[in-house]
Order: sequence, then C-alpha cells, then structure tokens
Amino acid sequence: MKVKLIRTGGFIPVTKAAETEVNLTDTELVRLLEVIHPDPKAHRIKDGNYYELTVGNNSTPVDLDKVPDKYRALFSKLKSDMRIIKRD
Amino acid sequence: MKVYDCKQKTDLAGATLLWDSKNNQKITSLAGKNVIKGGKASWDFYWQLFGRNSIDNKGLLIKQYVHFDKGMDNAYWDGRRMVYGDGDGTVFTSFTIDIDIIGHELTHGVMENEANLDYENQAGALNESFSDIFGIMIKQRFNNQDVKKSNWLIGERVMIGPKYALRSLKAPGTAYLNHPELGNDPQPATMDKYQNLPNTSAGDWGGVHINSGITNFAFYVAAYNMGGYAWDKTGRIWYAVLTDVKLTQNAKFADVKNLTIVNAEKIYGINSPEVKAVKQGWAEAKV
Repeated sequence: MKVKLIRTGGFIPVTKAAETEVNLTDTELVRLLEVIHPDPKAHRIKDGNYYELTVGNNSTPVDLDKVPDKYRALFSKLKSDMRIIKRD
Repeated sequence: MKVYDCKQKTDLAGATLLWDSKNNQKITSLAGKNVIKGGKASWDFYWQLFGRNSIDNKGLLIKQYVHFDKGMDNAYWDGRRMVYGDGDGTVFTSFTIDIDIIGHELTHGVMENEANLDYENQAGALNESFSDIFGIMIKQRFNNQDVKKSNWLIGERVMIGPKYALRSLKAPGTAYLNHPELGNDPQPATMDKYQNLPNTSAGDWGGVHINSGITNFAFYVAAYNMGGYAWDKTGRIWYAVLTDVKLTQNAKFADVKNLTIVNAEKIYGINSPEVKAVKQGWAEAKV
C-alpha cells in the first residue's frame, strides 16, 4: 500500500509531503496508527510542525516521537524525502 | 541562559549543554553564537525598556536548543524553551540567523505568561502579531534603526535569496513573491482581506500566521506616524496591552484596537498625536 506523510504548520505555514510504498497488513497499519497517535491533550506548540499519515482516503495525525524502532527507518526516509507543496 | 546542541536529533532531553551564561565560555558553533546574541538582545529589550525580568517576569532561565533535527526548516516555542533547526539548505538556512526570529519565539513565552491568547483564529493571529511586533522591535533596537531606517522585514536572511523574507510588517503580502517553491506571501494587510481558514494545522489554526499581517500593518502605520524609534512610544503602548489584564484569552482584533487606544490615552493623553497615530494605524488596516 501507498502511505503519504504530510507536514503542516511552522513559522510560515508550509506544507511538505512524501509518499512511499510499504508492505504492511491492515492489522499492522491499524496498530501502528494507534501507537503513534498524538496525545489529544497536548497543547499547541507555537510555530510548531504537525504531521499526518495518509493511507488511501484516510488521514491520521501522527506523533513522530512515538514511532517504534521497527518503523524508524521508514519515517526517516519519508521525512528526508518530503518536498514543499506550493500554495495555490 | 543556557544553550543546548541537539546534534541534528529530535531528543531534546538528550541534547548537550553548549553554553551557560554562568560560565560564559567561548563556543565555536555559529548557531549557538546567534542564539546567545539574540537571546541577550531580547532579554535586554524587555528588562531595560519595561523592567521585565525574563519570560515570566520572575527570572525564568531562558533555554535555547540549536541544530534540532536534520534540515528542519523551522523554529518554535514549545511552552518551555526555544528550538531552532538548521534549515533545509535549499529554501531556508539556519533559523538562528535572524535576531527577530529569536525575539519572536521568546515573545511567545512572554505571551504565555500574560494573556496567553488562544492559538487559533483572531486570537491566534494576535498572538503571532505580538511576536512579530516585539521581534522586529528587538532587531531594530539591536541595530539602532528608527522607523524610517528599518525595512520592517521579519526573517530577511533565513530565506535563501536576496529578494525574500518571511514577513513584512510594512507591506504584508510582499515578503516573497513568485518564489519558485513557496509561491507568494499570503498575508493580507487589511481586514477586508481577512482569510477564514479551517482551525486545523493545515489551515494554520485559522490563519494565525496569515491574518497577523493585518494587525502587524496597524502597528507599522502607528509606529511610522509617531516617528523615531518604534520601541519608544508605539512599543510602550503595545507592551501595556500585552500585559493588560483586560486582554482576554479569546480577544479579537477590535479588542486589541480598543486597548491600544485606551492605553495610548492613559500614557500620552486623550488628544495626543500618539493616540491619533494609533487610530490611524487601525484605520489603515481597516479594523
């Protein structure tokens, strides 16, 4: 399946994104998204960046600090591949 | 003040102490030197002009973290400290390079200890605007620039290319035009161009970095009309508002307009040129 990491926010609002093909079962994906879900009580960081993972038509907010070791390389690659999406 | 080196990792707790004002040791890191300079200029600004003792007015230790993450093109205040990335090297260089960015982030801390304006919609745009306004004044004071000498640009060096800056208080919406990666600066200068955006990160929490152009422009016009150094009079009025107990967490542009007029009247008198300049600023921003 194809996953897309999207970064928004920042000192000037810039959207960046990267996508890649991954070999995950639906169960593995659901488990991963549960583990890396951000704390809903976390306060908004001033000028902070936020990430979400898009699979198909579904986007889920993610906290990259929570990514398990098993998936670190995947998210590192996605982060380094991210490119700016030009504003309309 | 303490400065930490994240060594391009994202683990703030594991960052290495680079500099401590208690020891004032020499350092070679350019990013470290930049944030020491900017942190000192910001601390001096608040202390020497307003008698404010650091971020919380109780002497809070200022903590700054440099070299955060690999190629991170951002700087932020996380509620306890300022964090800076090195930039991606293509569109942005180090976010420590501009003193107004450091002043901007430190002012987010000041704001959290005062009205703590909500970070969404108009209140969020005001939150951003206070940070831009104090950030530019900190830079102007450091460079001894009056309202005519200043170019009123925020982040004029962090964005690679001589034609680009992050924001313009003098002419919001012109800081960068036809940028090959970013396109055009989206900030409006007047209230009739206010952008209603979703209250999501993708919507910039209702356009907090976008609609701040309107109140930034009101400040610029007021300061320009008063003349001299922006921090002398206009800055004094805006600081009185920032610390005014009547500034509520969900304030709107019109609330801050009224508070700047009331505080200008208190400080300079009802029919003073300063009050007229403040009113003119808001009139030109169409608030």
